[in-house]
Amino acid sequence: MSQLDTLKSAIKDRLGELECVIGWEQGYDPLHATPLFIRTEADLDRLIIGPLAVHNLATYLTAYKGKKIGVVVKGCDSRSVIELLNENLISRDDLVIFGLCCDGVVSQRKIRAALPADPGFVEAVDISANGLKITVAGQTAMLNMTDILADKCRTCQHPNALISDVLIGENRQSASSTSLACQEEFEAKSDAEKFAFWQETMSRCIRCYACRNACPMCVCRDYCIATSRDPLWVSQDNSPAENFMFQMIHVSHLAGRCTECGECERACPVDIPLMLLRRFMNKQVQDVFEHQAGTDLEQTPPLLTFKVEEERINERGW
Amino acid sequence: MRIGVFICHCGSNIAGTVDCPSVAATALTYPDVVFSTDTMYACSEPGQDAIIQAVKEKNLDGVVVASCTPRMHEQTFRRAVERAGLNRYMFEMANIREHVSWIGKTKDLNTNKAAELVRMAVEKLRRNRPLFAKRFETVKRVLVIGGGVAGIQAALDCADGGQEVVLVEREQSIGGKMAKLDKTFPTVDCSSCVLGPKMVDIAQHPNITLYTCSEVESVGGYVGNFQVTIRKKATYVDWSKCTGCGLCVEKCPSRKHPDTFNEGLCTAPSINIPFPQAIPKKAAINAASCIMLTKGKCGVCAKVCPVKCIDFEQKDELVTVDVGAVVVATGYDLFDWHKYPQYGEGRYKDVITSMQYERLLSASGPTGGHIKRPSDGKEPKNVVFIQCVGSRDRSVNRPYCSGFCCMYTAKQAILTKDHVPDSQSFVFYMDIRSPGKMYDEFTRRAMEEYGAQYVRGRVSMIYPQDDKLIVRGADTLAGTQVEVPADLVVLAVGAESARGAVQLGEKLRVAPDQYGFFVESHPKLKPVETNTAGVFLAGACQGPKDIPASVGQGSAAASKVLGLLSKKELESDPAVSRVNPGRCVGCGKCVQTCPFGAIKMIEDRFGNPKAEVIDTVCQGCGICTVTCPQGAIQLEHFTDNQILAEVNALCPPKMFANFE
Repeated sequence: MSQLDTLKSAIKDRLGELECVIGWEQGYDPLHATPLFIRTEADLDRLIIGPLAVHNLATYLTAYKGKKIGVVVKGCDSRSVIELLNENLISRDDLVIFGLCCDGVVSQRKIRAALPADPGFVEAVDISANGLKITVAGQTAMLNMTDILADKCRTCQHPNALISDVLIGENRQSASSTSLACQEEFEAKSDAEKFAFWQETMSRCIRCYACRNACPMCVCRDYCIATSRDPLWVSQDNSPAENFMFQMIHVSHLAGRCTECGECERACPVDIPLMLLRRFMNKQVQDVFEHQAGTDLEQTPPLLTFKVEEERINERGW
Repeated sequence: MRIGVFICHCGSNIAGTVDCPSVAATALTYPDVVFSTDTMYACSEPGQDAIIQAVKEKNLDGVVVASCTPRMHEQTFRRAVERAGLNRYMFEMANIREHVSWIGKTKDLNTNKAAELVRMAVEKLRRNRPLFAKRFETVKRVLVIGGGVAGIQAALDCADGGQEVVLVEREQSIGGKMAKLDKTFPTVDCSSCVLGPKMVDIAQHPNITLYTCSEVESVGGYVGNFQVTIRKKATYVDWSKCTGCGLCVEKCPSRKHPDTFNEGLCTAPSINIPFPQAIPKKAAINAASCIMLTKGKCGVCAKVCPVKCIDFEQKDELVTVDVGAVVVATGYDLFDWHKYPQYGEGRYKDVITSMQYERLLSASGPTGGHIKRPSDGKEPKNVVFIQCVGSRDRSVNRPYCSGFCCMYTAKQAILTKDHVPDSQSFVFYMDIRSPGKMYDEFTRRAMEEYGAQYVRGRVSMIYPQDDKLIVRGADTLAGTQVEVPADLVVLAVGAESARGAVQLGEKLRVAPDQYGFFVESHPKLKPVETNTAGVFLAGACQGPKDIPASVGQGSAAASKVLGLLSKKELESDPAVSRVNPGRCVGCGKCVQTCPFGAIKMIEDRFGNPKAEVIDTVCQGCGICTVTCPQGAIQLEHFTDNQILAEVNALCPPKMFANFE
C-alpha cells in the first residue's frame, strides 16, 4: 500500500469522530496544491501528499479551537504543532495528528526561476524521486529536485513528524548540512550593504500581511499590533522604514517561537526573503537559550518565562 | 490640554551649564504648553507655591518640572500638584541635572539636550490621565532575616513596638559574627556578655518566633502582604524536646569535622551545640559527618539522650508566613585570603585570620583563652598583624575599606599584651582609619600604652625560618625594608558580602552592588530603605559596618517597619498593568511571564479566555506589556503610546515630520 493509501485509510478510521481533517489537494493546476478540508469520505479521494504539498496546515489549528479536528503534518509542520501546544494555544485532546516522513517540498519560486518563462497554467506534472517533469503548452521540461527543493528542506533536521497519533512512511534522514549559502552570503555583508539591501527590499513590501496570515505562530490575527491605533506602533505610511518596523515586530514576536516553516517567505507575493531575518533570530535564540522552538513538548519558550538571571546571560559578571 | 513647564536652576547645579531661561522659552513652543518659566529652586517652599499658583492662575491641567532625578523629588512635586487641585499623575519630571548638567560641560549642547528632555516630558504628559490609588490592609508581622547583632536589634525593637516578629537565622544559633568575638573595641568589654542578654531576650520575647538552621526559600507578594516560605533544615533533633543538656555532644564518637564556630581551629563532634551561650541552646547533627547518617550505624546520641529527642528520619520542613515588612540583616563574610601568594596561600599553619585569633583569645574558644599558636601550641612572643588583607586592594577586586579592621587590630594588639605580658606586637598598616567616638584614642593607646609597633607599609612575603615566620615588608615612613621574625601572623581580613546574599537579594528584589552588598534607596537620606517597598536593610549586608553602626541600623530599620505597619491601610501604586479585554486574545503569555503572579485568566461573558491583572499584586514592572504581542496589556502611566510619544519627540518619524 502506498503512503497515500495508508494515510487515507488512517484518516478514514478517525474521520467519524472529527469535525474535519486538514490535508492537501490539487489546486488550480497540477503544479499547485491547496489545503483540503476533509469532511466526508468522498473528500478523501482528492487528498494528495508529496513535494507539492507545501502548506503548513498547523496555521489553521487555532481557528478550530474547541473543536476536535485532524491535521496532516510534515516534519517541519509538526514543530509548529508542538510550539502551539507548548504555548497552550491548542489542546492536544482536540487534535488527531497524521504525521508524515517527508522527502522535502518544492519551492514554487525556484520552479518559476528554473523555467524559461512564467508557466502560467501547467498541464501536467510527473513527480519522480529525481524531480518534476512539467508540461506547459505541450512543451515538457525536466526539473531536478536538487534545483527546486525549498531552502528549509536543504537544512531540514526534522523530516519526520515529531508528534503524531499516526506516523506514516519510513523514517527519513535529516539533512547533512545546517548552513544555507544564501544566509551566509547575506550575513557576510557589511552593515551598509545590509541597510541598502533592506531599503530596496522593504520598498517592495505592500503590507498585505500575507506573511503574518500564513504564519502558524501569529495567533493575534485581527488584533495584530501592526494594524492598531492604540497602541500605535506602526503607521499606515508605506515607507521602507515603517514596513521594516512591521517586519521587525513580526520577527521579535517570533523570538524563541519561530519553527522555520518558511510560510511567511512562501506567502510573500513580492518575494521578500523574510527567512533571512527569522534564521538570524533563531540562531541568536539557539546560542543564548539553547532553544529550538517546537522540538520538545516539555520545554517552555525562553521568552515566556521569568528568570531573574538567565543561565547563559551573565548580566552582572558574578 | 494646558501644560505649565518649570525649569529649575537648582542653584548653580543646573544653571551652571544649562541656559535655563532659554530652555523655558523653547518649551513655550511645544504643543499644549501655555506657561513656561525658570525658577531658582523648584523644590523649595516658594518654588512649590509658584507651581500651585500657576496651576490656579493659568488654569493648567498638567505640570512638567525639569530639575533633578525623580528619585529625589517626584513625590514632592506630585504632592504639590495635588495641593493645586490636580491629579498627582498629571505631572512629569525631566531630569536635567543628573542626565544633563552634571555630566555635560558644553552649555549649548546641554541647553539643547535639556530642551529635548522637556519636550519628551511634555509629549508624555499630553497622554497622561488621572490615576487613583487603591487602598489595602497590611499584615502586622515582620520578617527579620539574619540573627546577627543588627538582626537581633531590629527584631527586639519591632517586637517591643508591638509587632509580631519572625527571625530567621541560617546557622544553628543566633549571635552572628559578634558571638564569636572575644572583646569589643573601644571599651574592651566582653562581647558575649553584652550580646548574651539580647540573645536571651530574643528567645524569651513573646512576640518573636525564632527559626534557626533555616533559610528563606521564596518570597512572594508585595509591601504589607509578603508571603514568605522558610526552609527549616533538618537538625535530626526534635527541638521541642531537646533540653540542651549536652550529653550527646559529650558521647558522640565522630569528632573529626572542622568546628565552623571556632573558625576551623579545632574539630567538633557531629552532634553539637556551637557555644555555651547559644540561642536556642539545642543540639543539631551535622549530616555530612554523622556516622549514623553516612554509614547507617552508631546511634550513640539516641541511646544517651535522656529525653529521646534524636530523630534520624527528620526531613527539611517548609513553613509559610505572611508578613507586612522584611528586614534584611544578613551581615558579611570574611575575605578568603588564600588568594594572596605573599601570605603563603595557606602553607604556614601560624598564619591565621583575625577571626581565628579572636577565637584563640576567647575563654570559650578551643584554647580556653590562652594564646597558643596552631603549629606547636607554643605561646607566641612576637605577633605580627597585617592590615588590609582583602581591603583597599584593586588587585583582588576589593577596592573598598572594610572600616573596622584598623580598630579590631588595635584591640587584638592590646589583648595580646594582656594575655602575654612579655609579647611584642607589630602592625603593618596602610593608614589608620579610626573615625568614631573614642576610636582614635584607642589606637593611640595600643601604640603608646601597650607598645604595639606600627609599621606603615605592605608585606611582600612571609617565609619560614626555623620555627619562626619571617615577615618581610616595607616601612614607607623610614623608607627601608624591614624583616620581622614572627611567632604568629594575624591577617586582618576584610569584609565581603555574605555567601548567598545575591541569591537572597533576587528573591527579595533587592539589588546588590558590584561587590554583592545590598543597595540602599538613597546613600544619605534613605540608608536603611531599599528600592523594594517594605524591604529594609540593617547592618553589614549593606556595606561593612562595626557593631555600633549595625545596632544603629537595626533600630533604624525597626523604626521604619513600625512606621510602615502603624498605618492601618497602605495605598497601592496605580501605575500598574491593565488589560484591554477587547484586544486580549487570551493566549496567556502574560500569565506565564509575570514574576509576581499578578495576572489571572478569566472568562468573559462569551466564554472567551481573557487576562486580568490583580491590582494590588502588580508591581508595574512591565514584563507583561512587552510579552503581549498585540499590546493588549498596557502599563498605566507608561503605556506604549506614552513611551512612543517620548521616542517620537526625540526622533520625529518621517511621516509626522512631513506634515508639520
